[in-house]
Amino acid sequence: MFSEQAAATAQGLLAPPSAEPPTFPRVAVSGYSDCSQPFQLGERSFARQYAHIYAVRLAGMRPGLERRARSRWGNDVVLRRLSELQEGEKCCVVGTLFKSMQLQPSILQEISEEHNLVPQPPLPKYIQPSDELILEDELQRIKLEGAIDVQRLVTGTIVAVYGCEQDDGRFLVEDHCFADLPPPLPWSGPSSDRYVLLASGLGLGSVSGEALLSTQLLVDVVTGQLGAEGEQSCAAHITRVILAGNLLSQNTQSRDTINKAKYLTKKTQAASVEAVKMLDEILLQLCTSVPVDVMPGEFDPTNYTLPQQPLHRCMLPLASAYATLRLVTNPYQASLDGVRFLGTSGQNISDIFKYSSMDDYLEILEWTLLAGHISPTAPDTLGCYPFYKSDPFILTECPHVYFCGNAPHFQSKLLQGKEGQRVLLLTVPDFSATQTACLVNLHDLSCQPITFSSFGADSEDGDMELEH
Amino acid sequence: MSRRAMEQPRRITDSFPRRRRRGPGRPPGRLKNKKDKDKDKDEVQLKVRDCPRAPSQPPPDPALMEMLRRFDLSWEYGPCTGITRLQRWERAQELGLSPPGLIRDALLEHRDNPDVTYSLWHEYEL
Repeated sequence: MFSEQAAATAQGLLAPPSAEPPTFPRVAVSGYSDCSQPFQLGERSFARQYAHIYAVRLAGMRPGLERRARSRWGNDVVLRRLSELQEGEKCCVVGTLFKSMQLQPSILQEISEEHNLVPQPPLPKYIQPSDELILEDELQRIKLEGAIDVQRLVTGTIVAVYGCEQDDGRFLVEDHCFADLPPPLPWSGPSSDRYVLLASGLGLGSVSGEALLSTQLLVDVVTGQLGAEGEQSCAAHITRVILAGNLLSQNTQSRDTINKAKYLTKKTQAASVEAVKMLDEILLQLCTSVPVDVMPGEFDPTNYTLPQQPLHRCMLPLASAYATLRLVTNPYQASLDGVRFLGTSGQNISDIFKYSSMDDYLEILEWTLLAGHISPTAPDTLGCYPFYKSDPFILTECPHVYFCGNAPHFQSKLLQGKEGQRVLLLTVPDFSATQTACLVNLHDLSCQPITFSSFGADSEDGDMELEH
Repeated sequence: MSRRAMEQPRRITDSFPRRRRRGPGRPPGRLKNKKDKDKDKDEVQLKVRDCPRAPSQPPPDPALMEMLRRFDLSWEYGPCTGITRLQRWERAQELGLSPPGLIRDALLEHRDNPDVTYSLWHEYEL
């Protein structure tokens, strides 16, 4: 977006200052509505077990899956519960998957004194060839084998399997299906080019300050203080900035103060205090110019369990004076100019990455959309609030832009569904590592990365590059 | 002041609020909230004492209690622990499992009776 229009006006930078500098009004904000009410928890009660969320998940997704099973294997396919299974009869069962993994970290094993085991160090992946898949419904469970990829699937997915029960008590799967893409939302996008900038993983408060210059360049580009008139007029088309989590770096999470003696830690303050002050100053510069949505991430000062609640505005005193700052929940859903955005800060995708053989973040993102659930591994391996009434992570409508933050690389894909769904799948890269942000065009759902690099180690003339 | 001193020897501690004697295992840091705790204890006791004696409704008959117990134990409506029976009924209604309306009427009628509103396993934590 920037290079085409910017090159023509680059000479403007060398000209003497004009009497009347041109002004570029930012594109007006029209049609924003926040749809993340299901993720906002009011009064929280933890006096419940997680059985409720699994029961509601299965009960909520069962009708959709039965419809899908009928359309895939014929209208006369026999739908049975596990308690009604007969040996050798070909039927379809809908249930929740459970993957029993040997390497899955278990708190009971860790504190078991009989074993005297050292707690297992965190591994990048916990899958093993000996993992088994078990299908559970409301009353019973059965082991699965056959045409089902054990390594790829994760616990908590609702699936419909077609096959028959064998005499050794296992279910031989011939075919299986998921909930598939949810029904489409009507498209009412803008008629001209409007951009939304997505960035995640700003990583403030880290030991090295390399990404700070790139962050400042990002802020300057968005507020129109960088480049000639061409770049400024392009930046005026950015209607919103979404910061998708991990605004603070992992270094601010050190818990040394707990282990050290009190006299050593009396005068120290948490590293996150300085980092939040820096965040406040950056957000102040952004908020004076463009609406900003701030989502919390894994290392941000908010609750740990999904859905993460918005950061409190008392932490950002300078920026929260502006109405353009919106502090939002972690799975975030909003309708911007008629385009429905849905995304997370990446904890759900990275948790599935640990327990599945899928390696590509975009592939996992697409798989969660096809499975009909944002985060199936919650609450098994990912912390989750004990919902009892309904599972807010079930996808009921197909968003137009589905993103996840803190991915290792930038990837995007436009997915077309059978019922006319059009989804832009987007993995927003970690800014502190890649210095890359994403620009999404709301008009035609196209997406491009924008990289801010400065004084690279192998660059001889030390130029600042703004490339994409 | 001197007249009072002649009537009865008064101590400074008479003006302090009365505390219930607790065992030696009392945690030391709770002095500030002791007054509130006692007040709460009194209030809670009053509440429990009031409920069964409320003359507004007759106590529910055993057949009703048996029906509610069966509602708790029926697996179709999901787990019953940790939520009130009315919350479970409403959840079942929203999921389209059509729970019997009779139960909801009974629950609303005896709303202030803890034996009716809470599930069978309410006394057990989690």
